[in-house]
This record gives sequence, C-alpha cells and structure tokens, in this order.
Amino acid sequence: MTDRQPARRHILRMGGGALGGALALALTGCSGSGGGTGGGAAGDPRKGSITVWSWQGPAAELKALIPEFNKTYPDIRVTVEDIGNPAIWDKITAGLAAGGQGLADVLHIGVDYLPGYVEHFPGAFADLAPLGATAHKDAFAPGLWGTVSPDGKKVNALPWEANSAGFYYRADLFERAGVDVDALQTWDETIEAGKRLKAKTGVHLLGIDKPASQPDAANFFQMLLQLQGAFYFDLEGRITLDSPEAVRAMTLIKTMNDAGLVSDLAGGWNALMSSLKRGTAAVLPWPTWFGGIIEEQVPAEAGKWKVRLPPAVRRGGPTAATVNSTHLAVAGSSRNQAAAWSFVEFALTRPASQVRIYRGKGIAPALLKAYEDPVFHQPSAFFSGQRKGEVFLDALKAPSPAVNYTSDYARALKLVTDAQSKVLLGGADPAKVLTEAARELARQTGRKAAR
Amino acid sequence: MTQAAAPAAGRSLPAGPAPAAGRPRRRRGRAAPYLFVLPAVLLFAVFKLYPIGWSFLLSLHRTVGGTETFVGADNYVRLADDPLFWTALRNTGVILVVQVPLMLALATALAVALDSTLLRGRPVFRLGFFLPMVTGLVAYGIVFSVLLNKDYGLVNWLLGLLGADPVPWLTDPLWARISLGLALTWHYTGYNAVILLARLQTVPRELYDAAAVDGAGALGAFRHVTLPGLRPALLLTTVLSTIGTLQLFDEPFVLTGGGPDNATLTIGVYLYQNAFKYFDFGYASAVAYALTVLVGLLGLIQFRLLGEKT
Repeated sequence: MTDRQPARRHILRMGGGALGGALALALTGCSGSGGGTGGGAAGDPRKGSITVWSWQGPAAELKALIPEFNKTYPDIRVTVEDIGNPAIWDKITAGLAAGGQGLADVLHIGVDYLPGYVEHFPGAFADLAPLGATAHKDAFAPGLWGTVSPDGKKVNALPWEANSAGFYYRADLFERAGVDVDALQTWDETIEAGKRLKAKTGVHLLGIDKPASQPDAANFFQMLLQLQGAFYFDLEGRITLDSPEAVRAMTLIKTMNDAGLVSDLAGGWNALMSSLKRGTAAVLPWPTWFGGIIEEQVPAEAGKWKVRLPPAVRRGGPTAATVNSTHLAVAGSSRNQAAAWSFVEFALTRPASQVRIYRGKGIAPALLKAYEDPVFHQPSAFFSGQRKGEVFLDALKAPSPAVNYTSDYARALKLVTDAQSKVLLGGADPAKVLTEAARELARQTGRKAAR
Repeated sequence: MTQAAAPAAGRSLPAGPAPAAGRPRRRRGRAAPYLFVLPAVLLFAVFKLYPIGWSFLLSLHRTVGGTETFVGADNYVRLADDPLFWTALRNTGVILVVQVPLMLALATALAVALDSTLLRGRPVFRLGFFLPMVTGLVAYGIVFSVLLNKDYGLVNWLLGLLGADPVPWLTDPLWARISLGLALTWHYTGYNAVILLARLQTVPRELYDAAAVDGAGALGAFRHVTLPGLRPALLLTTVLSTIGTLQLFDEPFVLTGGGPDNATLTIGVYLYQNAFKYFDFGYASAVAYALTVLVGLLGLIQFRLLGEKT
C-alpha cells in the first residue's frame, strides 16, 4: 500500500552461552560442517531438483506456486512436503544433527527456532548473501533483516510472513452482552467486559491451554509481555522472566482465570479448533495468520466476527507488537543451493507470489511491496466488512521493540509454561513462580538475571 | 529364572539348561561358534556399544558457542543439584512404589484366575488380557488421551451419565499421575499375568492335593503353594517392571508431555527434553548414565531380596 517503510522493529540477536551442536558429535563420526557453504553457490540456479519442507497452509500455498515458478524456471523440479507443525522442528533438528543428512533443500523456519539452529549447528544454513540476498535487504520490513542477518553480513534466511498481535472476536456475542469492543482500551477494561459477557451469554472471554500440553500455551502471556515491550531476555541476553512487566502479564491472566473467564484449551491445537467450532470463547487473541484459520474453520459464522488490535496492558500503552515471523532458509547441506535460492527468491521477493499466498491462506507478507495490492485494502465479508489487511498493516507500521529470542528460548518457554500452569491450575502467586522460573533458567543456562 | 520345563519339585527350578555335551567336538569347528555369534556381536558393537561409549564421552563435555569443551564431572555435579532431575526421580519413584505392586498383584490374581479350571474359554481370556501388550505404545497413548479428554472424552461422558462432574484426567497434576498409572496398568498387566501363568502351570498339582490333605483352605494353598511357586516369576516381573518404569518415556510423552507442571515428568522425558529440545547432549548423556546406575542398583537389590531363596 505504501512506499514508505513501516517502522517495525523486530531485531533478533543471538545470545551467547549456547549449549550447542554437540549433536554433530552425538550421532556419528560423520559429524562435521553440515555441508559447509563457503562462498560459492552450489549447483545451477536454473536447473536441478529441490525439496521444500513446510507445514499445513503455507505448504499448500508453496505447492500452488510451483506451476508459475516453472514458467520462469522450467528445469527446476520442486517437491513441497507438508511435514506438519510442530513435527517439522524435530525433523529439522534430527537432520541437522546428522550433519545435514536427509534434510530438504529449502526449510521453513519460525523466528523462535532460527537463532537456536544457527547457533547450535554452525553451517546449518547456506549463506544467502553470495546468492544475491543482500539486494533484497530493503524489500522487507527493516526490523526483519536483523532477524535473518544478525551480523549484517551473513544471511541465514529470507523473511516470509510477519505476524502482528491481533484480537479476533465474536461481535455478535459482545453485542448481546452490551459491550462496545472498540471502546476497550486496556486489558483491565476487557476483563470487566468479559465478566459481563460471561454473565449474559455464558461464553468465556478467551481460552488458554492451562496444563500447557503444547509449548504455545504461553502465546497469550508472551503477547501481553510484548505489548509492554518486554520479553524473556533483554537485548544483552540477560534473563527478564521476573520483570515487573512479566509479573503484570501473569497477574492479568490470573485475574481472568480467577474470575472464571478462561476456558481450558488442554490438548493444544485440536482443542483450540474444537473450541472455535463450539464457540466456547468470544476472543481469540491470536496474530495475523489466525484470521485465515477462522474463516476456514467456521465459514458459517461470516459476519459475526470482527478483528482489532489488542487492548493495551497499561492505559495509553502500545497496542501493536510483532509476535512472530517465519522464514525460508536453504540447507547448508543442499547440493542445489542455487536452484533452492531461485525458488526462495521467487516465492518471497516477488509481490505477485506473496499476494497469491495472502489470498489463499491469509498469510501476511513481510515483503512491503506486496501491500500495494488492493487485496490488503478490501473490506472482508467474513469480518463484517472490516478492512482486515489494513488493521494489521497499521500494526506492522507501528513501532515494535526488539525481541531477543536467544538460543535458550526453548528452556525459557518451558519454564514459563510450567509457571503459568502453576498459576492457572494451582492458583500460585505470579511474582513467586516467575522469580523461581528466572532463577532456574539462570541455573540451567549460566545466564545472568537482568535485575 | 528360565521358565523351562516343569521341574520335578515345585520349589526348585533347574539351575539352567543342562550343559550341552560338547567336549569331544571342541577341536573340530573351533571358529564356528564365533562365526555364528559374530553378526550379533557386530550389530551390538555398532548400534549399542559404540553409542554407549560415545555417550559417556559426551557426558563429560559441554558445548559453548559451537565448540566442545571437556568439563570433567561438571554435568554430574549439575545433575545432583538439579531440582527437575529430582522431580523426575520422585515421579518415577511414586510409580514404582504404587503402580508396580498394584499391577503385579492384579497380574497374580489374573494368572490364578486364568489357570483355574473353573473358567470357561480360557484361551480367549488369556488372549484378551495379553492383547494390550501388542498395541503400539504411541497408538495406545493417543487412544488414552482421547478417551481421557476432559471435555470430549468417552470416560467423562460415561461419568456424566452417572451424574459425576468431569474429571480433569490429564490436566490436573494428581489426576495426570493416576491416568498414567491406569494406562500403564492396562498395557502391562496382561503381559505380566502371562509370565506368571506360565510359571504357575509348572507348579505340580500334587502339592495342592497335599496341602488340601493337610487341611489348607484356598487361601492357605495360595499362600503356601502358589506364592512360593511363583517366586522366580515374581522376581522376573518385578525386575522387568522396575527397569521399564525407570526408562518410562512413551506414555508420559504422548499422554501429558511430562506435565502439567512436571507432575508426570520421568527421567526418560527429561533426558529427551535436554537432548532434543535444548540441544544439550552432554547433560542428557549424564542423565542417561545416572539412570543406568540406578537401574543396575535397583536390579541388584531386588535380586538380593527376592532371588536368594530360589
């Protein structure tokens, strides 16, 4: 939509203190570099056979892109495999551990896994800079370049989707409860509205996977943190799990839970989908990409849904946060790196490709030029005539502070989900469990606490 | 400990298979036996011995910033001080102390029932109780997680028909432990019952007749004939169950992922998390070695306690 670059920051730095690629060692003597990329591109950029690993929706969209790709590159044979999510992470880990054996040529990777892979498995991904990636540096929201190229030289991947925190809600239910959702400025107000909603309609405000059957049980907590510009680590890689912002976020969750406003999504994704179909919660505090899922799962509810950015944690505070992004990387072990790069470039830097993908599954591009397409500015019949694309584009353009996932994100996430379960299932004190979690994380990783 | 052919007297088992007379043949194909065992030894060396040795080496290393550093016993020191490791140990201990004895008692009762001539269609029952053992671990884990789902599971639906509130089978720390115990019991009781049954069938009938003549009732016969006769099989099932429990992984991994809040975290799950979620292979190897030592120690103790009198 605009030539101006949105001021969206999503800088990712790799923390130190890795426990790392012992895997290469672990399995066989064939350890080693994982294919080492050196400088030159392997293979012919116009010829070869490549495999792409992705999951569900994105995989389907990449598959649909192949005929168009083959018009330009008739001699590259592309096979897209839907590995499933979260299965793909274990599969990539195992492949990297085996020194790149059996890995696909192109890998779809989330921002939460990228730094861990890069740090634990040196040589895991081909450096895309010599292949020409640097030319696209300014094509993406500038914050994302820091994610894929932390040192500004080596380029580990190319950004695909950029997801902002969202607030999808059943407008009809809130209307019945007499709540003006647009007027809700803070989460405190939202909790009060949730009480009225529950009393009038019997529907929960939102759902959380209380026993944390999947790691993404902490998504909502993480969003509340990011809305305050905070995260599990600061930019120096120090632990901030017990910051006042974190305690505030967990306390909000506890308040909602104690008021009986939180339905239990125990069981992860399947529970979330059945909750959506049964309408057990009125709000889905999920990011950009989730809009496509709602449309797909409950098509009969067209016109009942609306979307807005989440309320602020503190009055007047930010309502926009980039909560995650995904990327395409080329495996360091690939023999057809040049051909793989041709596909990545075609899919991610060509506005027509991204527009097509957005139309298909509502996956929001990191590629700025794509937003010039009218599809991002049309009213959506499903979302009650709202211009959904513009809602999130506004978020994308709003300043969003840097997020440092570090290579210890998985450990931090586990401790956070455990702490959250203690609060939601056992009524534990947020400050106490978060302090314990921070201490345990420091013990496990050797990182220092920020305070 | 073999459940070989029926011994003459119920009390003592043969010390082992009779030594195959082979002395005269010793000179002739000397290499042959070695050649026969060679494939097994080779496979063992490549797929077991090598990883075992390598993992010990790994347990003495820590990877910092992509490079291996020798840290000596650091990982083991860290282990002793790791609350989650102790949580995993405690969880495993609870299963050992509560679930294993209950399951073995149940298996013994089943074995006696399946041995009884009063029961019609015994093969069908035997097969029925053994079948769970044949079910894949992951498959039955998934089936249990569906059955035990709090909101949509069959079990809670049935309880609801009786007017009971839904039970948080997998989502409450205590219930999650109970569910795990139930799943384990369902899967392994029949297997243990079959081992016990095999042994039971070697107890000579005359002993029961003699006991009856001496005035023993059903309970007395069970106490003085059946149980002593079962002792070796009980030892075997106890040791197997102990090792199985200590290495428990699939069921908690599929059912609860070790949660909620680590209530069903086992040593196996903790090891997996460290290796494949946190890429901390040195530490995971240290956990594995601690587990090995534990299994060895407990096995030894059980042999001492139960095995001596056989």
